[in-house]
Amino acid sequence: MINRNLQMAGRVSAQPRFDVELVAVTKRYGQTLAVDGISLRIAPASYCCLLGPSGCGKTSTLRMIAGHEHITDGDVLIRDRNVTDLPSAKRGTAMMFQSYALFPHLNCLDNVAFSLKMRGIGKAARHDRARGFLRLVEMEDFADRLPAQLSGGQQQRVALARSLITEPQVLLLDEPLSALDPFLRGRMREELKRLQRELGITFIHVTHSQDEAMALADLMVVMHEGRIRQSGTPREIFEQPASAFIARFIGGHNVLSTPHGLAAIRADRCRIGQAENGAGCSGRIVAVEYQGPVVRVALQTPAGEQASAIVPDSLFFSAPVRPGEAAALVWSEQDVHYVQAG
Amino acid sequence: MMIGGQSYQAGAGQGRPWTFYALAILFGAYLLFLYGPMLVMYVLSFQGPNGGVTFPMVGVSLAWFADIVKPGQMANIPVSFARSIALASAVSLLTAAISIAAALAFRRRFPGSGLLFYLAVASLVMPSLLVGFGIGLGFKMLGLKPSLFTSALGAQLTWTLPFGVFAMFAVVNRFNRSYEEAADDLGASPWQRFIHVTLPILLPGIIGVAMGAFTLSYDEYARTTLVIGDRNTLPLEIYALISSATSPTLFAIGTATTAVSFLIIAATLWRIFHIQRRRAAAAQ
Amino acid sequence: MTILTRPAAPLPRLLLPALPRRRLKPWLVSWLQVSPLAFILIVLFALPTFLFAVVSFFDYDRTGIYPAFILDNYRDLLTTPATIRVYVSSLTFAVIVWAITLFLGFNIAHFLIFHVRSAAVRTVFFLLCAIPFWTSGIIRTIAWIPFLGRNGAFNQIVMGAGLTSQPLDFLLFSRFAVVITYINLFTLLMVGPIANSLAKIDPALLEAARDAGASRSRVMVEVIIPLSKTGIALGSILVFTQVMGDFFVVKAMSGGQAASIVSALATEIQAMQYPPASASAVVLVCFVGILVAGMMRVVDVRKELVK
Repeated sequence: MINRNLQMAGRVSAQPRFDVELVAVTKRYGQTLAVDGISLRIAPASYCCLLGPSGCGKTSTLRMIAGHEHITDGDVLIRDRNVTDLPSAKRGTAMMFQSYALFPHLNCLDNVAFSLKMRGIGKAARHDRARGFLRLVEMEDFADRLPAQLSGGQQQRVALARSLITEPQVLLLDEPLSALDPFLRGRMREELKRLQRELGITFIHVTHSQDEAMALADLMVVMHEGRIRQSGTPREIFEQPASAFIARFIGGHNVLSTPHGLAAIRADRCRIGQAENGAGCSGRIVAVEYQGPVVRVALQTPAGEQASAIVPDSLFFSAPVRPGEAAALVWSEQDVHYVQAG
Repeated sequence: MMIGGQSYQAGAGQGRPWTFYALAILFGAYLLFLYGPMLVMYVLSFQGPNGGVTFPMVGVSLAWFADIVKPGQMANIPVSFARSIALASAVSLLTAAISIAAALAFRRRFPGSGLLFYLAVASLVMPSLLVGFGIGLGFKMLGLKPSLFTSALGAQLTWTLPFGVFAMFAVVNRFNRSYEEAADDLGASPWQRFIHVTLPILLPGIIGVAMGAFTLSYDEYARTTLVIGDRNTLPLEIYALISSATSPTLFAIGTATTAVSFLIIAATLWRIFHIQRRRAAAAQ
Repeated sequence: MTILTRPAAPLPRLLLPALPRRRLKPWLVSWLQVSPLAFILIVLFALPTFLFAVVSFFDYDRTGIYPAFILDNYRDLLTTPATIRVYVSSLTFAVIVWAITLFLGFNIAHFLIFHVRSAAVRTVFFLLCAIPFWTSGIIRTIAWIPFLGRNGAFNQIVMGAGLTSQPLDFLLFSRFAVVITYINLFTLLMVGPIANSLAKIDPALLEAARDAGASRSRVMVEVIIPLSKTGIALGSILVFTQVMGDFFVVKAMSGGQAASIVSALATEIQAMQYPPASASAVVLVCFVGILVAGMMRVVDVRKELVK
């Protein structure tokens, strides 16, 4: 039922080409260029993750889509509507803040019902609807509690309910899982993905964790220094990183200079062995890290480059090596992916 | 409220350093010094009818309290006291309202903000009588009569507003702007956002400023004296009486007015405490 | 799912016109919010100050004042030895009171912020310090009289304990009494700002200093005092200006032994001699202004207060 309501909330066309479109969007703070003319198209009902290191402009981009940050240049379209000059409440977006920003003086029910109160809906009606959304996030029993009496995970669910009650076309999440402990993080991750599928709207999720982005995203957008470096499915990016920066940032890759240019090789496709057939590099082992199902072996070449092999535990322990030993890292040529520098 | 209390000496649970005892004694001595003369005054207000303004106590009586309400020289005291309370209330409400608006404005840098800031600082450090002098002079030249709720109110505001505004800066700085952005996101107009989100969250700070302003106004005499017109507030009435009639009645006045202000503030605090208690209980 | 690695050609804004925004410019909103404050400060402070500055150049005689531009008032004021005497006297009071209130204020603030561990107790102590201010300052000043007089409580205690045989005379109606009263009234002005500054110090800084081997006194000198500069400067400004601007305490407690700048001014105002009173006022304002400006160089007040 909630699905249908949200679909009917689509304003202009029943089938917009894209849910969100950024056209050469730029953000300048004084002299600093935070976001440099980025363009992006997000298909309807997708889970999009903006990924990047601190200061890459991902949060500024999210806030510009939300309407909480003035757009210096460019346009933002939501379902074919140009919302660039619209206030946040009129864009069809809802934002989940990193600190949740639950109003401390209102209980959960009033927090969730807040947007309805602003629209002038009567108390009985809005409390009723708010309870429905609290039920959706399994927080119905906490309706009368104040935010200060809730744990982080609980606050987040209430914040989610509060955002969803506005029936947004796009939900914007600003590092929603960063403040949670690892166990809760995993559970909430599943929750978010499930919700997005059920609701059938687009989620745009900002994170600096590549694991999170890869697990959740239909569309992953890697940003650095205000620009989009690569966007695509997580699999496309992991298997074919466009540059050395992306290969390093996404993790699990070795970036080495070879006679044919700069190459990214997946660490789990590398083995410790003899450099006979196939490519490889030799050096000294600097670290052996046991990680449960796998063992990470780090090697340093005479040129000073670092590379690792991620070896299944049984394979490692059948021929273990120790730090300080000379060894070679080998891989097969088909696993080499040439990248640009930078 | 302020944070603090983290001792950087040995961890909690271990013994106190000698400086703790030294400072505790100093603090105790200071409190004694602060309250000493007042306690003497409280005691002497119960002076016997034949006693004087110093010790020894010649009996104990309420004679001097009775003097306050009897017709005669002291008759103006209750009236001027009421005027003090009325003026202080007005000053306190105006200060709170104007301060919160100004503090919200100063979150941004706007043209003229520096000038206004230093104007407020100047108003704070200007010797009080001179402010009253300037206003009184202005009124005289314009042919206006100074009075309680025009010139006196204005003069006191030049004193309470800088305090109020600077205190509000601290309150507003602690305020997380995400709350306002969330309100925007959820469809609140700027006015709705102010009434339903900003104001309720800042309310404890605003009340603090209002009470501070009340105290400042109640106690104020230097700025007010030249612009009060012919109807005195309490401090000015007492000032007038000091030279002419020094008797234990003055002490009785001091005791009585302290008791009343104490009651008012205690009642306000208790009311606030009660409301907060009720809110927390409803959430259980 | 689309992949886009090259920016698409931007859609011309005409095809999909943006809906208009009806919002006030931010600085205009700020102006509106700050206008009551600005109005009051300008009309009730800046203009009156300007007014008496202007009047200070007027001529006067027994019947009234006459608009003019003469420097006689200033000349009379600045060449009278009494003026120098009274400024020196006020300044002396101010410095003595400042030193003592700084010592007291800093130690009390330090005690309350760093030694008192429970927030509830700290609040109670702060309240205790503030409660006396619910009694009018005038009353608190004259309450010293029965305490310090020849037959006062203090003398009775001291004589009763056998410390002296004669009552101590200098306690009341003397410079001593004035200083004592100032300290009683103004110490809180030091405690407040300094406590505020101290509370802002990150405890981790102090622990780091201790870890680096600093003794407690070094921590005090190298870390705490520099970081509380703002509070000290603010408190000092408040105490200095209150003492320089006082007219009541000196009159009531010095028994005529000392004069204050402002009480002399008040007398002239009573006599309706506005031009010389104005000149006196202007000179005082300039003097205080220079002091305050000097103290504000130590600390960027705006940054600290507004952040």
